[in-house]
Amino acid sequence: MSLNTVLSGIVMLAITPLVHAQPWEFKEPVQVSVTSGPGIFHHLESSGRRNIAVSGDVVAVVWEDNRNGTPQIYLARKPLSASEFESETRISAQGEAFEPSLVSLGNGDFAVAWEEDARIFVRLIGAERVGKALMVGRAEAYQASLVRHHQQLLLVYAAAGGKYPRIWLQQLAIVQGLLRKLPECPVDKESARDEQLYPVALSLGDRLIVAWEDRRPGHTIIMAAHSNTKSLCNFSTPQRISEGPEKSRAPYGKGHGVARVALAGYGNSQGMAVWADKRDFREGYDVYAARYLTDGKSLFGKNAKVQDSFGGVAQQWHTAIAGNDAGSLVVAWDDNRDGDADIVLSWIEGGDWSDDLTVEAASGVGIQSHPSVFLDNDTNLHLVWSEREKVGGPTRLRYLFGKAIRP
Amino acid sequence: MLRPFLVLLAFLIMPVALADKPVGYEFYTFDKAMLQAKTQGKPLFVYFGRYGCGYCDKTNKEAFSDEQVRKIYNSHYVLAYVDSESGKRLRLPSGERIAEREVGTRYNAFVTPVFTFMTETGEVFHRMVGVQRIEDLLSAHKIVQQKLANTVKP
Repeated sequence: MSLNTVLSGIVMLAITPLVHAQPWEFKEPVQVSVTSGPGIFHHLESSGRRNIAVSGDVVAVVWEDNRNGTPQIYLARKPLSASEFESETRISAQGEAFEPSLVSLGNGDFAVAWEEDARIFVRLIGAERVGKALMVGRAEAYQASLVRHHQQLLLVYAAAGGKYPRIWLQQLAIVQGLLRKLPECPVDKESARDEQLYPVALSLGDRLIVAWEDRRPGHTIIMAAHSNTKSLCNFSTPQRISEGPEKSRAPYGKGHGVARVALAGYGNSQGMAVWADKRDFREGYDVYAARYLTDGKSLFGKNAKVQDSFGGVAQQWHTAIAGNDAGSLVVAWDDNRDGDADIVLSWIEGGDWSDDLTVEAASGVGIQSHPSVFLDNDTNLHLVWSEREKVGGPTRLRYLFGKAIRP
Repeated sequence: MLRPFLVLLAFLIMPVALADKPVGYEFYTFDKAMLQAKTQGKPLFVYFGRYGCGYCDKTNKEAFSDEQVRKIYNSHYVLAYVDSESGKRLRLPSGERIAEREVGTRYNAFVTPVFTFMTETGEVFHRMVGVQRIEDLLSAHKIVQQKLANTVKP
């Protein structure tokens, strides 16, 4: 037996458990939008990265593209059993529209919020018809993110309010298939001391949790506050949830950078926040997470690095997260550890973060980036991402179904 | 009498303390700078910073404050400043809409500051990472001008 054979055997033994540990069996990727080509750029951007959802037996994706010369919002649906997405529906009107956020309402119904000409609009998307767009919230508003909270639809967004933008909560009711505005309120009772940006909300039982970027210490941190169903606008005092580095690793200046928090619930009212974090400032952004706590003291627990050690020298961007009632939780991001950007996943496994999995169908030649993920009740993974052959080239949207593998 | 003066002083120095672009330079947004570079026939000098970036602040104070650096960079380059965490939307000459943070991602500004010299189409031909001294910026200018001279076809 040659040395090479022995080494190959050792490598295979090392790799095999990882391969078997994958919780999903991936199918062939599917094109989401048939409209693509030179000069067309799709954007999977939303505060909280909620661009895909499953409702009943339908998966839907929302995005923005410039096919008609101005940025507009589109939605495409696919019955889970179908092999292709159906023709897409334009959601926005005539203005410049950006950053759509999607939420499942069950039974094949969805709601979409987006920014159009610096106002926020919300629309119900049923199996049979598209509801009327409702303008909500304040003027000079942007970065909308939707969540369903029991029978209500809740929208968080950033809007001008004094010297700096501030995070607002807009409550909405769905009455006989129509949206109706309910009270709105700022999440932080105090006027913003610096910019508050990119909010996202999570419904956990009777709790509503809102997290956002906040620049009050002179650099960007992640902050959060929560309230409960009895009084949704009565938020707790905001707390910082992104920790600083150890003193010996502190950067020169005000502090390190963080960006774009996302939230997901899983299991029996557990919650997790993830974001891009540059506390190891020589390595660029890493993916960090913190668990929502219910001990009544801190809102979120100690921060943990999500990516494995192979991601240390690479850069991680565009962190998305999804969980389900069965207790599964997955984080997705794009990562250049193998050269160009690829989509990478990590999930909760035995109470800790798994080894990273580079998704084969969302990696390799070209640039695969900006993932959004959804876990359905059977723990099947629904992944959408943006793909382009070269930097600055036209984009296309790809969808991948990962069938849960039962242990 | 002293207090209003101190408040005014704090207000005046705040932008520097928060590591914005250096004062005394004509910085454009990245998309506008690309257009300017084409119009003026000059290369781009792109400063990738971040809100609260201490090393950007240090470079502003210790290097960009130099009068020779200011004269050279203002006259030889079209200057662009990119906040690598900002969601500010830009539209590139190609028609692509892109956020400032995404420009940072595209040009691998995973630490700040990063300084890049680019062609009008965004092709990088010289890059500097981290704190820069006066002599670093002057030396980079010489290297870049030499590269440009070497690429001029007879």
